[in-house]
Amino acid sequence: MPRKRFEPTILAFTCNWCSYGGADLAGISRIQHPPNAKVIRLMCSGRIDPIMVIEAFKDGADGVMVTGCHPGDCHYATGNYRTQVRFDALKIALKSMGLHPDRLKLLWASASEGQQWADGITTMTETIRLLGPNPLKEGGVQK
Amino acid sequence: MSSSDIRIGVFVCNCGLNIAGTVDCESVAKYASKLPDVVHAVDLLFACSDDGQDNIKRAIREKELNRVIVASCTPRTHEPVFRACVEEAGLNRYLYDQVNLREHCSWVHMDEKDLATMKAEELVAMAVERVRYLEPLERQSVDVIKSAAVIGGGVAGISAALDLANAGFETHLIESRPTIGGQMALLDKVFPQNDCAICILGPIMSKVGQHPNINLLTYSELDSVDGYVGNFRLTVRKKSRYIDTEKCNGCGDCEKACPVNVTNQYEFGMATRKAAYRPFPQAVPNKYTIDKRGISPCRIACPAHVNVQAFVALLKEEQFEEALQIYRKNSPFAGTLGRVCTNPCQTECERGKYDEPVSIKALHRFLADFERTHNKKPILPIEPDKKKAKKPIAIVGAGPAGLACAYDLVRDGYSVTVFESRKEAGGLLRWGIPEYRLPRDVLRDEIDIIQQLGVTIQTGVRVESLEELKSQGYKAIFVATGAPSSRLMKIDGENAKDVHHALEFLDRVNSGKKVNVGNRVVVVGGGNAAIDAARTAQRLGAKRVTIVYRRSREEMPAIPSEVDEAGHEGIKFEFLATPVKIATSGNVISEIKCIRMRLGSPDESGRRKPIPIPGSEFKIGGDTAIIAVGQEVTPDSLVSGLEPTMYGTLEVDPVTLQTNVKGVFGGGDVVSGGATAIEAIATGKEAAKSIDRYLRGVDLTEGRDEILIPIEDIEVDNALKMRYAPAMPTLSLPKRKTTFGEVELGLREAVALEEAGRCLNCAVCCECEKCVDACTLDAIDHSLQDEIIELNVGTIIVATGFKVHDPVETREFGYKTFDNVITNAQLERLTNAAGPTQGKIKRPSDHTTPKRVAFVQCVGSRDRRVDQDYCCYIGCENSLKQAIQIKEKYPQTEVTIYAMDIRTHGLGYEGLYRRAREKGVIVVKGRPSEIEEIPSTKSLVVLAEDLYTGERLETTTDLVVLATALLPNDDIPELARKLKVSTGEYGYLMEAHPKLRPVDSFQDGVFLAGAVLGPMDIPKAVAYGKGAAAGAQALMAPGKFFVEPIYAEIDTSLCMDCDLCVDVCPYGAPTGRGTERRVMFELCQGCGTCAASCPKNAINMRHYRTEQILPQIMAAARAKGGIV
Repeated sequence: MPRKRFEPTILAFTCNWCSYGGADLAGISRIQHPPNAKVIRLMCSGRIDPIMVIEAFKDGADGVMVTGCHPGDCHYATGNYRTQVRFDALKIALKSMGLHPDRLKLLWASASEGQQWADGITTMTETIRLLGPNPLKEGGVQK
Repeated sequence: MSSSDIRIGVFVCNCGLNIAGTVDCESVAKYASKLPDVVHAVDLLFACSDDGQDNIKRAIREKELNRVIVASCTPRTHEPVFRACVEEAGLNRYLYDQVNLREHCSWVHMDEKDLATMKAEELVAMAVERVRYLEPLERQSVDVIKSAAVIGGGVAGISAALDLANAGFETHLIESRPTIGGQMALLDKVFPQNDCAICILGPIMSKVGQHPNINLLTYSELDSVDGYVGNFRLTVRKKSRYIDTEKCNGCGDCEKACPVNVTNQYEFGMATRKAAYRPFPQAVPNKYTIDKRGISPCRIACPAHVNVQAFVALLKEEQFEEALQIYRKNSPFAGTLGRVCTNPCQTECERGKYDEPVSIKALHRFLADFERTHNKKPILPIEPDKKKAKKPIAIVGAGPAGLACAYDLVRDGYSVTVFESRKEAGGLLRWGIPEYRLPRDVLRDEIDIIQQLGVTIQTGVRVESLEELKSQGYKAIFVATGAPSSRLMKIDGENAKDVHHALEFLDRVNSGKKVNVGNRVVVVGGGNAAIDAARTAQRLGAKRVTIVYRRSREEMPAIPSEVDEAGHEGIKFEFLATPVKIATSGNVISEIKCIRMRLGSPDESGRRKPIPIPGSEFKIGGDTAIIAVGQEVTPDSLVSGLEPTMYGTLEVDPVTLQTNVKGVFGGGDVVSGGATAIEAIATGKEAAKSIDRYLRGVDLTEGRDEILIPIEDIEVDNALKMRYAPAMPTLSLPKRKTTFGEVELGLREAVALEEAGRCLNCAVCCECEKCVDACTLDAIDHSLQDEIIELNVGTIIVATGFKVHDPVETREFGYKTFDNVITNAQLERLTNAAGPTQGKIKRPSDHTTPKRVAFVQCVGSRDRRVDQDYCCYIGCENSLKQAIQIKEKYPQTEVTIYAMDIRTHGLGYEGLYRRAREKGVIVVKGRPSEIEEIPSTKSLVVLAEDLYTGERLETTTDLVVLATALLPNDDIPELARKLKVSTGEYGYLMEAHPKLRPVDSFQDGVFLAGAVLGPMDIPKAVAYGKGAAAGAQALMAPGKFFVEPIYAEIDTSLCMDCDLCVDVCPYGAPTGRGTERRVMFELCQGCGTCAASCPKNAINMRHYRTEQILPQIMAAARAKGGIV
């Protein structure tokens, strides 16, 4: 019997224009990657309210990815610069929640970067697998 | 709506086996049916088929569904389909959500079927949680302006514009080049029929030019794009042609007069063109353009801004007189400065980045010398301006600053008198510079020009006070009395008998006074005065001359060539040393005690600071010392009544050069404390400007700055051949020991012409204004500015085309190293009757007709090494076409095509291949590994392997033609950003769907056509152009366009007016304050950045509300997962 392994739950926020397209392209190109990430599509990565990320961890997500257009390529001109600022703040917040900062990852991927998307998901899954389950979930914080 | 009212239907699409092959769709549907409020869940074979959609509609009606989820493929393509489907069943289209099981699940987890199914279930569960909170929304419609902009005037853009215009839509065609026609206009023949390209395109181009509905904007670039579908606002920069297109009739007189030759990109570098040019005779519009890129670096570097490029260009064209006139627009000292200038222009010369800067100084000297030796034309006095002449101007000091000021003012029509205390004019040029560098007659003749123009120079007159001049009626005064005194070293023994100071020493020699020097002379200093003093001492009979300088040779401020010549003449250097004491025995120098120095960190001048090394004292034997450590302003240089600075120099305003007394200006060394001749001239010219303004009663500063716009990026042929600057011929060394004969002899005519040819013409147009004289229609105006045009359109079509791969970056197959390796684009120009060889195929090295020609296919195409692993689509047909053309013109010429494969897709193209083979063209399967040049004949050896036979081929050929790749244009990323469209893997613009929406972009209202999408041949580009035009018409014809009702809303009861939303919104959508605050939905694009920023959570996004997203997050986070 094969050894059981930890399959992390990862949430990937995408924007509608770049990273969602990149994820689509990975599909169209059949670039295989682990099935652990589930996509939540928003119009722009600038829509990602820090509360959404914190809520995801509180509810037991093992990892969260914030993804969007490359800086300068935002469909909405400057949205992703805000994302970057919020991401940096979230990294600090994560520590105070007792979570390893690597559980949160930022990935810029354009609609033509299917390979980059698949690689990003693969490394994130490996990272979280090593970090183990979200301690908040184990600690019974989960409602 | 309470929870019990929610009735959700879930439809899981099998997509044939696309999803069902990996995901167990039946089990997903079963799982979904157990989720709360799901009243119906089934799996369908193809949800998007008519059957599938009927099934959904039926279920909505029968099961009274009020929320629908389809778990199928990406919403980026199918969301509109299913939204329309639920709408047809009577449900609001926004009560629908789509789960992406295909691209995000089945296609990417093919090897993990169980986990994929589990993920599919979780994704459906997430959607169920979200869909429950969705609310019905009404679509907003926007008015569509019935006008289109087409960007790019190649064959695709032309086709699109004509269709739109013929359908009655006002169309703006924006083209960056001076003509439309794109790449096709440069082709000779088009395959497969081998029609003449310009013959079929020309009439269409002129139709575009004349169409009443087309506004043709050539030589124009898209600056910015604002707005949204139906109402885009474009800012277009119509670049100045410097020619009034209303007046220009395309006669070409300006082209004939233009002296500037640059590489002709329309001939792919096979020929040159002028700065005033028309790309080709069939150009539309048939107007000339002056290609002006800015101000050349040499002209900017020159303190007096001499138009260097212009006189060099005219010199090269052997128009010596005209060239000298250009120089003399600035100052009369072409010959003087051609000898003594420190030439900052050469330091900045672009050519210097490749081999050596152009010898600019030697070139203007040549012009002046040529005039002296060939029929010199008399200078006619300037007719004084009646008004201006009433206000006479006095200039104190006839050095370079004073003379330059007088020169400019007299040409402006003023009456000018220069007062000089010495017996001759010239200042330090006359009294400081030795004759072997600047012969007196050269200087005198150039000062004579100023006098011939009408300036009075009164020598031997010392001006003591300003009052004296004012009482004589002078209305403005320029003080340029110089800094005629040497700075003291302040060391022991400096007062001894045989210690000289450089300026006084040189002055006495230059005045013809007898000066005795000993046998062993020590000169202290590293500037030009030190070198001049040392070389003068040598000529006066010194046996051994040593220059002691405290820094190293690199830091020497003296002109390097002067230092070199001093070395040649036998002058010794003692670097990194400085005298500490001049030892004397009874007022006679016995020796000079020095100390060694080392270089520390750089000081404020940027040079490394010398620091004495303790205990390193040494002695230099000598009987004469000359101190040359700088110059100073003496108190008597300042005319009484003027204020000095703390350094003793004259205090002036840095911009206007006005002194503390109104109407009195200062410049030259008396202000700077000692600078170069050209810097002094620059201040003289600046003072002339101030004086003119002062006397006309105009503000001295306002609008004064002459803006010299540097060239943004200088285009240099990347295959530039190295050529070094010529050595300056010099007087023989024995003669230099005894006479003051001029050392540098000047360039010969042939050398000067060749040297002028090294100028890169950085600015392209040099502003010599020869064209202005040549144009009989008075159409040329060099002061014309770019025009900014605002366009308001409903749709945009992008058709900016491609660029041709330049194999020079990889030096592939010896391109641009071997003369006879060319690209197929270049061969196209050689076969073209309008090309540089009038259609005769001649190889570049010797202009003979090649007997053997080899084509190399796929250069840069299908090449993974450079991330260009795609087919160029046209290379095979193009080479076959060219091979046939060669065979038709020269049946005896042997033609071989080396190719990985020959790809002749579609109708008619296979016939091209057959015709080529029938004519005897040899096709070898296999790419050449290497090409070598035979130096004696410049023929080429092609090394290749025939893949069919495995045989190693080594064939000699006369001409090699590279079939180069097609690449996306360099400006695509910027263009994509402006238009908010995406780019694909290889950098071309990306269509919304590769099969079904090939001319649409993801941005509503923006369509794509032609090779901006990727390589394509002409019929395909035309079809895309017409397709894009059809798409644009379909969008514009109804006059209304529905936009997504996704926009931000503000709850004013929560808002605390912090304005953060205003800061983050790139569209300026939030408006008002307090209870009036709202988001203007017409401007809001729906990104939601404001909602995420609002500290009070007062902003929410319709359809992406926090309360709609959070349940989805919770469902995802709480998924089973864990240890499996």
